[in-house]
Amino acid sequence: MTAAAETKRATGLRMFAQPIAVVVLVAAVLAWAFTRDLDAIERQSINGPVLLDAVWDHLVISVVVTALVLIIAVPLGIVLTRRWARPAAPVFLAIATIGQASPAIGVLVLFFLLSGWEGLWAAALPITFYTLLPVLRNTMVGLQQIDPALVDAGRGIGMSAFAVLRRIELPLAVPLILAGLRTALVHAVGVATLAVFVNGGGLGLLIDTGYKLSRLTVLITGAVLAVALALLVDWLGTVAETYLGPKGLR
Amino acid sequence: MSFWEFVSDRWSRLLSESLLHVSAVVQCTILAAIVGVTVGIAVYRSPFGSAVATALTSAILTIPSFALLGLLIPVLGLGAPPTVAALVLYGLLPIVRNTIVGLAGVDGAVTDAARGIGMNRLGVLTRIELRLAWPAILAGMRVATQMLMGIAAIAAYARGPGLGVEIFAGLTRAGSANATNQAIAGTVGIVVLALILDGIFVLIGRYTTSRGLRGQ
Amino acid sequence: MASEIQLTEVTKRYGRRPPAVDNFSITIPAGQIVVFVGPSGCGKTTTMRMINRLIEPTSGLITIGGEDTSKLDPDQLRRKIGYAIQQAGLFPHMTVAQNVGVVPGLLGWDRGKVADRVEEMLDLVGLDPAEFRDRFPRQLSGGQQQRVGVARALAADPPVLLMDEPFGAVDPITRGNLQDELMRLQAELHKTIVFVTHDFDEAVKLGDRIAVLGDQSRILQYDTPEAVLANPADDTVAGFVGAGASLKQLTLRRVRDVQLSQAAVTVSTSDEPADIRRSLQEAGASFALMLDTRRRPVAWVHVREPRMRRPIRDMVSRESTLQDALEAILTDGGNAVVTGARGEYVGLVDIDTVMASVRELRENA
Repeated sequence: MTAAAETKRATGLRMFAQPIAVVVLVAAVLAWAFTRDLDAIERQSINGPVLLDAVWDHLVISVVVTALVLIIAVPLGIVLTRRWARPAAPVFLAIATIGQASPAIGVLVLFFLLSGWEGLWAAALPITFYTLLPVLRNTMVGLQQIDPALVDAGRGIGMSAFAVLRRIELPLAVPLILAGLRTALVHAVGVATLAVFVNGGGLGLLIDTGYKLSRLTVLITGAVLAVALALLVDWLGTVAETYLGPKGLR
Repeated sequence: MSFWEFVSDRWSRLLSESLLHVSAVVQCTILAAIVGVTVGIAVYRSPFGSAVATALTSAILTIPSFALLGLLIPVLGLGAPPTVAALVLYGLLPIVRNTIVGLAGVDGAVTDAARGIGMNRLGVLTRIELRLAWPAILAGMRVATQMLMGIAAIAAYARGPGLGVEIFAGLTRAGSANATNQAIAGTVGIVVLALILDGIFVLIGRYTTSRGLRGQ
Repeated sequence: MASEIQLTEVTKRYGRRPPAVDNFSITIPAGQIVVFVGPSGCGKTTTMRMINRLIEPTSGLITIGGEDTSKLDPDQLRRKIGYAIQQAGLFPHMTVAQNVGVVPGLLGWDRGKVADRVEEMLDLVGLDPAEFRDRFPRQLSGGQQQRVGVARALAADPPVLLMDEPFGAVDPITRGNLQDELMRLQAELHKTIVFVTHDFDEAVKLGDRIAVLGDQSRILQYDTPEAVLANPADDTVAGFVGAGASLKQLTLRRVRDVQLSQAAVTVSTSDEPADIRRSLQEAGASFALMLDTRRRPVAWVHVREPRMRRPIRDMVSRESTLQDALEAILTDGGNAVVTGARGEYVGLVDIDTVMASVRELRENA
């Protein structure tokens, strides 16, 4: 039994079980929360518009982070694997490694204190820095592992360096880039629960409100929805990974 | 107050928070290792069991740490219990996965020989299989430790111990003189401690891995 | 000390499929090597593994020295049966000494006794304890690993030895040497050995008796190698014996059975090239055999280029078969060099000696 086969089987299991878990979680927690006797404070949080707002804020942060990561990490990874930029690669990898070794909450709070910003960008920028590494590393590994003979063959039949990159290197690196992106996205959804601390909203707001005001219904609703959202995004990422990779490599 | 003045001023407090942070992470890693290795041993012979264990533990890892902490507060209260529970749960995946991969990767000829010369099941497991899987298990613990260092910071929200206290203090005192210093001390302190722990893991690996397994 | 092994109507079934081993009965005499030989998948390994209960028989009786094995604790049973397998199955995280000392350790011997035994065993299989004791398996060649595997199997002095293609994973020359080594050991130790292989030549060379097995471990023929070669029981066995049966009979003759010749000139590694040329010219020979200070053969040297040493790639021992000698002759050209127990030079086998044996075997057949 190889590690790869192991992971594949576990992935298959999650592909099947995760959406079911998400639906059950969401249905159960909403049914539970809305059928309880809610006091005035709880009603301020447990109602359709507020919940939708929190989910929407959460999603926006996650999507912005993912877009930023995609825009920064993939081109950076491509540049750092070009022959002329290779000496710079270790520097960027070291910075990204430290970024990931640092506590997410610390990065978030520090950025907030130093910049004085609040809201969406105060959350999205530090989270981007925090989640950059997996995509950057996977992009670089994905490009570096390509058989040099293929690149040679591309140049040999008269492709320009750019054409080789676009038509050979990138398609072959797509599975790893996607895997990195999924990791980043799940990270982002997780860390976005902390956006509440920099007034960025999201499902963390419900958790924080529930905790501070001792309203467990609010806390639990927020937490369960955050769990469900993370599982959903992770599942979507797995699906995308499975169906978007080049068919010949599957 | 400059950052260095701040650090020397609060040195003893920062030191004790650092110790608490590291000791929480190390203890939880050890707990996670005990649970994770046991789970790994229980399932590694069965492909289905392995898949379920891997899928479950990786699903746990998907859960946002702040949400998990939130869910644990109503059940376990504040302070150490929810911190320990959250850290152990998050530490499980890398350890379970590496234990399974490590044990399943042991050469069948070696275990066959061990059985053939008269070792009992327990002997084969403890003297052969776990020894051979040890580098993988240790690598899993190393990954877990790095991850837990960051998550432990969030535990301060539920009155957990450690350097996260400084970060949250900095947040609530935003605008006051030492807020930024506190946040820097907490954040940088965690990074430095994480790097030191990582170095210690390299040393442990060097001293506890048989020379016969190195460089393979 | 050795024990007779008896299998009586032993059957192994997996589920509803036809049995892997069907109603198998054999008596393995004490102190002899019996080789199970057959195509892969015929059940020979399954049969062997039932003797030390790595596989439990579905039905039937297995006794060792008259004792019913199913009445014993399987782990205790295995500690008294040596076990050597393909690729040695050495424990990669233990040193050579720890590997060899495992079974005595399991049996509760004290440390000093185990250490002494390890030295003795390494000596026995031709590995210098000082050099190899503290090495790890990955630091050994394939042949050395197999030697350690055999040393481990013998360490607790078990009366019975099970060997499952123990020399299957090494190159042909090393395999030949290991086989010779096993013959030498057996001449000293007189164990009861069950040896599994799919290599018929190996079976003929090593076996006191050969059991040729067909599907479901059915015994096609159980006899001495000479008898199997001379009178194959049926077409299947004849097919297995294969073409060139008379050449194969060379594996029945050992180097010790024939008259050895001697090199015309032997020189030492410390001799000057000029001296070597002179002694060759005086003897009227073109090749000299060069020996090191411990009289171990190193190279051939030609009279015209006394500086050029042509290394000897393949050597044989007294226990080697004439088949091995023939191979050595074909590998190195000229003569096969014969060495003694400590690797020292004892003589040569030339092609005429081999041919004479072939003629003789053919006349007797």
